[in-house]
Amino acid sequence: MSRKHLMALVVAGATALATNAHAQKTEITFARFFGACDSDYGTSTEVEKARGECGVMTTLVNHFNATNKDNIVVKPQIIEWGPYYQQLTARIAARDLPNIAVMHTAQIGDFIRSRVVDPIEDDLKAAGIDIEDFTPHARAGVTFNGKVHALPWDTHSWLWHVNVGIFKQAGLVDAAGKPIMPKSVDELLAQAKAIKEKTGKPYFIMASVAAGDAGNAARTFYTLLYTQGGNLFPSGFDKANFGTPEAKTAFETVERIAKEGYITKGVDGAGALGGFIGGNGAVLLTGTWRIDDMLAAAAKPDSGLKEYTARIFPNLFKQDAVWADNHSWVMPRGANNDKQRAAARVFLKYLWDQNYQWARGGGHLPIRKSVMAEYAKLPERPNVMRITEIGKALPHDVRRQFGFQSLIGEEVNNMINGNKASAQALKDAQERADQLLARR
Amino acid sequence: RTTGGIYAPPFTTKNYTDILATSKVFDWMLNSAIVSIGQTLLTLVISTLAGYGFARTDFPGKRVVFLLVLAGLAVPEQAIIVPLHTMFAFADMHNTYAALIAPRLAFPFGVFLMTQYFKGVPREIEEAALLDNASRLKIFFRVVLPLTVPAQATLGIYTFLHAWNEYFWPLVSATKPEMYTLTIGLAAMQTNFAQTEGIGFLMAQAVFAGLPILILYLFFQRHIVTAVAGGVSK
Repeated sequence: MSRKHLMALVVAGATALATNAHAQKTEITFARFFGACDSDYGTSTEVEKARGECGVMTTLVNHFNATNKDNIVVKPQIIEWGPYYQQLTARIAARDLPNIAVMHTAQIGDFIRSRVVDPIEDDLKAAGIDIEDFTPHARAGVTFNGKVHALPWDTHSWLWHVNVGIFKQAGLVDAAGKPIMPKSVDELLAQAKAIKEKTGKPYFIMASVAAGDAGNAARTFYTLLYTQGGNLFPSGFDKANFGTPEAKTAFETVERIAKEGYITKGVDGAGALGGFIGGNGAVLLTGTWRIDDMLAAAAKPDSGLKEYTARIFPNLFKQDAVWADNHSWVMPRGANNDKQRAAARVFLKYLWDQNYQWARGGGHLPIRKSVMAEYAKLPERPNVMRITEIGKALPHDVRRQFGFQSLIGEEVNNMINGNKASAQALKDAQERADQLLARR
Repeated sequence: RTTGGIYAPPFTTKNYTDILATSKVFDWMLNSAIVSIGQTLLTLVISTLAGYGFARTDFPGKRVVFLLVLAGLAVPEQAIIVPLHTMFAFADMHNTYAALIAPRLAFPFGVFLMTQYFKGVPREIEEAALLDNASRLKIFFRVVLPLTVPAQATLGIYTFLHAWNEYFWPLVSATKPEMYTLTIGLAAMQTNFAQTEGIGFLMAQAVFAGLPILILYLFFQRHIVTAVAGGVSK
């Protein structure tokens, strides 16, 4: 055989091998938000070094694609957070389903009722995922009609991010130098008065002007409601009731705080964050996802946030409770053939194994009981771990929960910014809720 | 350190390099260019032909048809998005350039603008050409159309701008990342809660997305000014 013939054979053989290998790769599409950060993490596989939701998520996918032995390629489909569900719904209508999609557990109920999401207990068990290891809040979040419909990914909740330096200036710390959390509305107002008099700063900073800020006010309302043992749906899930004593008290509490000038007005997200880091308020009302950012800000030598701690939103009424939701992973109905389903299971198992890294870098709480001990070693995390037990959400049977969040948040923000009294805000919230739930 | 005030060093180009380092950003730009140019050219063709027809020809029901076209101006995009999406889903056309371009070709404003402009062209010019045995098509392409360049420039720029900045329809039709237009792609890069931190990145996105439009405006400024000042009013 001549050298030329031998070379041709080798090339043909190599091409056949390459084609064959490529043909055996299983691609699965992975619809998510959390942003894109190619410049910092585009090719990184170092999960332990990644920071932030985007960083951790990007490196997890990169690492999986680089190391899995099953010839699986995960293709991320990154979607903007705001219109995520609008686009997902449009994709469902166009029969362009992702193999795996992220979903808030507050939204899963609507997709189950639309017959898009099915139980995946069998898939999780086949993948080697132990459902008994789910934390109580995570398990409740993904369980509908007694069956698990998604793999929970994290618990995220509502916190008081505290500028301890300001609390110290106002004499509101204990012997150990820790801030004293109020145990009632009157105590809160007294603290806010002391801080205003001694520091000139508002007690609360919260973003309340942009459309995206409705969530802040809604989560504050929900927490105030739940700590009273309140129920927004006492007569069934098709009719909300804003006339209950607990709902009225929640609105009136926020109104009192706003009227006394103890909460910022007309501030957007960037302003709230910048203002708190600049030391311009005692407590920033935002979520667990900001803990790492606050720790990093407080560590800077020229930071206005001299000392920082995170606290679960205090119980100002009668029971410990706080708004909490989960991110989770679903496999939409009809999106996966057998091969893709098997590949999706492998990837979900990988994510399950990496749940601590997501919690570490992303700022949320893990959903596995078995990683909580490791999680507790991170700064400030011991203060918030109880959320996995006391976290609450609207019942699964309530439809259009994100719509609810928007309308409640808008009415509360209107109150904060002085545009409405609580009585009018409650009335308008009731009307809007009735309209929202009247649509089938 | 806060971000208050206009002058807040240190300055950085990292936000721009972050955008440029995104592997797909030039694909998105290309998609936007294809959609915008395609929409502009086809809208010009349809609107000029329709405008000439309404301005110069007589046919049964012309007035009714023209009113129906104008009625389209009163229909908001949101009112038709669901049936439009369903139609393209039925035809399995989502995630294609055709789906991104086609819905915007029926452009009532463009037809109205060109109709009014054609009406302003003196009939004597066409009559002179008719006397020389020129066909209607020849009159349209060789005589009348060149006189409407200012209006075409205005319509073209307006259409291009609108197409380039479009967000809602591409959001629900171009759902595969490789088919994203620049508006959708840049928005997807934002982290949760619409980039409430890292405002510099958000601002860099706005500049990056608007730069082609700015360049286009600099080249065609004269035509826009001419059209607005006098050409369109004829």
